[in-house]
Amino acid sequence: MLIAALLVNADSISFHDNATSKKKVLENLSQKLASNTNATTAEKIFQVLLERERLGSTGLGKGVAIPHARVPGLTHTIAAMLTLETPVPFESVDNQPIDIAFGLLVPEEDTDHHLQYLSRLVTLFRDPDICQRLRKATSAEQIFELLLSIDEV
Amino acid sequence: MNSISMLFLLSGSLIALSILASRLSSLFGLPLLIIFLALGMLAGEDGILGIQFNNYSLAFVIGHLALAMILLDGGMRTRLKTFRVGFKPALSMATIGVFITSGVVGLIAMWVFNLTLVEGLLIGAIVGSTDAAAVFSMLRGQGININERVSATLEIESGTNDPMAIFLTLMFIQLLISDDNTVLGNVEFFLQQFGFGIAIGLAGGWLVKRLLSRLELMPGLYSLLALALGFSIFGLASWAGGSGFLAIYLCGLMIGSENTRQLQHILPVYDGLAWLSQIGLFLVLGMLVTPTELMKYALPSLVIALALIFVARPLAVLLSVKPFFKFRWREIGFISWVGLRGAVPIVLAIFPVIGGVDNASMYFNVAFAVVLLSLLIQGGTLLPMAKWMRVQVPKRASPRQRGSLGILPERDYEMFVYKVENHRLDEQPIRLLRFPSGAMISALFRNDEMIHPKGSTRLKLGDILCVISREEDLDNLNELFNGDNQLNQKQLAFFGSFVLNGDAMLVDVAKAYGLTISPQEVGVSLGEFIARRVGGHPVVGDDIDWHGIHWVVNEVDGDTVKKVGMRLY
Repeated sequence: MLIAALLVNADSISFHDNATSKKKVLENLSQKLASNTNATTAEKIFQVLLERERLGSTGLGKGVAIPHARVPGLTHTIAAMLTLETPVPFESVDNQPIDIAFGLLVPEEDTDHHLQYLSRLVTLFRDPDICQRLRKATSAEQIFELLLSIDEV
Repeated sequence: MNSISMLFLLSGSLIALSILASRLSSLFGLPLLIIFLALGMLAGEDGILGIQFNNYSLAFVIGHLALAMILLDGGMRTRLKTFRVGFKPALSMATIGVFITSGVVGLIAMWVFNLTLVEGLLIGAIVGSTDAAAVFSMLRGQGININERVSATLEIESGTNDPMAIFLTLMFIQLLISDDNTVLGNVEFFLQQFGFGIAIGLAGGWLVKRLLSRLELMPGLYSLLALALGFSIFGLASWAGGSGFLAIYLCGLMIGSENTRQLQHILPVYDGLAWLSQIGLFLVLGMLVTPTELMKYALPSLVIALALIFVARPLAVLLSVKPFFKFRWREIGFISWVGLRGAVPIVLAIFPVIGGVDNASMYFNVAFAVVLLSLLIQGGTLLPMAKWMRVQVPKRASPRQRGSLGILPERDYEMFVYKVENHRLDEQPIRLLRFPSGAMISALFRNDEMIHPKGSTRLKLGDILCVISREEDLDNLNELFNGDNQLNQKQLAFFGSFVLNGDAMLVDVAKAYGLTISPQEVGVSLGEFIARRVGGHPVVGDDIDWHGIHWVVNEVDGDTVKKVGMRLY
């Protein structure tokens, strides 16, 4: 599965986003995600992401969160990414604030892909090397390039 | 040289040698107890020193003293909290389980040695109980962290199954040496052993605990007083017809049930005393046996040991645990494998010698060989077995040292010493740390120098921090200092990628991931669902497979699951 392909292009990445709270991170992520689809709105996306967070934080630890949800009516899987200017508390497992958030939405009926994508994303963002390179990137384009190069391996 | 100087020289150097040889254990993965036994045998009549030691009565006394000490210490270190998951299955194994083990081994021994039924059963009874010393030292010494359900069951089993084996042994010896025996008499004897053992142990232990916490003594005297009273309780219980071993274990359990200031003085002393007891006991038993005689029984003993390990023990665990308690197959497998025999069977095998049973040396040599083989075969493969059966739980960060300050009589403050290994904490000013509100950093050591910590002081990797706090903050502190090392990576992998709250409703979880649930699962929370699936007493590390996702229990509070990790494939 290709990460960069999910993001489509660098426009889905908000570089050094200015969100300062968990709520704001989810809102900004919803905005980015909504611009990739006509099937739903940013408000609706924000609602489903928030619902998912109520079950337990999607913060993986080590500064990364992967908010995700299934969305009715969605025609294909979409993704968006934020890197944060200042780390934001996200109720993660390790209580550390996050500075990378990767949002993933899958069509409601696409349950199997949902888990596969998540599994792939978790593996990717668990790699300290990749995270370090993502944090050192200086623009959305650079991050996108980096993800592209990872996909090619 | 006169006998006193000889005694000092020999016992001193043997104990010293045993301690030095304990290093071999970690080098070769050999069980420690084997090393002590081997040293005893080397010192004995067929060995290098050729010491003639055939005083069974003395060995009998030393055996009782040492076992009492080991059980007292073991009881104190058994956390009462673990009784939640371990007590009932352990009790079932300590009674029915010992019965089955002894019966099966007895029948096989009857066939192997061509004995009468009672003689065969006597052998079964002698090797019927697992050994607290062996199990405690193996589980704690290997640096492995076994899931709580398994470790608690094994520890409590080994502390409580000796009375059953002793009872069976005494009963069969009675049957062999005297003619008047009634079933009723045996039942009465059985009830007495357990009844008085439990009652006197618990009541005595409670009194000792009260006394210790009220008494102002010099710190060094607490451990001695507890030991003296523990031994009195042992004596009282056996005088009344109860089991002294059961009583002293329960007494230790009561004393250790609360983390008091006195306990902090007692435990370090007992650590040493328990070691001394183990070393002393195994050296003496090693000297007592005559290896050339042991060899005569080698082959039949091997058959019995293998039967015990591969047939009797698994069967006993299976029948006494599986039908009544929810254990997973690999947990049953591991518990079956950790049926380590230790000093108890050898000490029990002295009973027939003292009781004047015919052919007494056979019992002793067979018991000795079975213990040796059990330690070698089961003890030597503990680590690979734990891995294979997947019963390990990753260790979480913990203080390198801790100790109570000894200021308040109850709920005292403690000092926890942590090393900064978490990369996230590097260069962090202290005031930005998410410290529990009751905790205070009292000192900071960097490059062996003490620094006065201020809010603006920036931490560096390798700093040693002394934190004064209470036990209830320990989880938070551990979390904070959890090292950013490989272990942490392993933990994350083990405990799953996303962590859900135990109180999240199953319906909502199912909705979020497109999973199907049955109508009766609608009103259930995720935590309850998992707790039910594992039999009502969840422990950290429990996992269930549900819709192709591994759900791993990350945190429990009593029987309530607080956090659940989702491990994706």
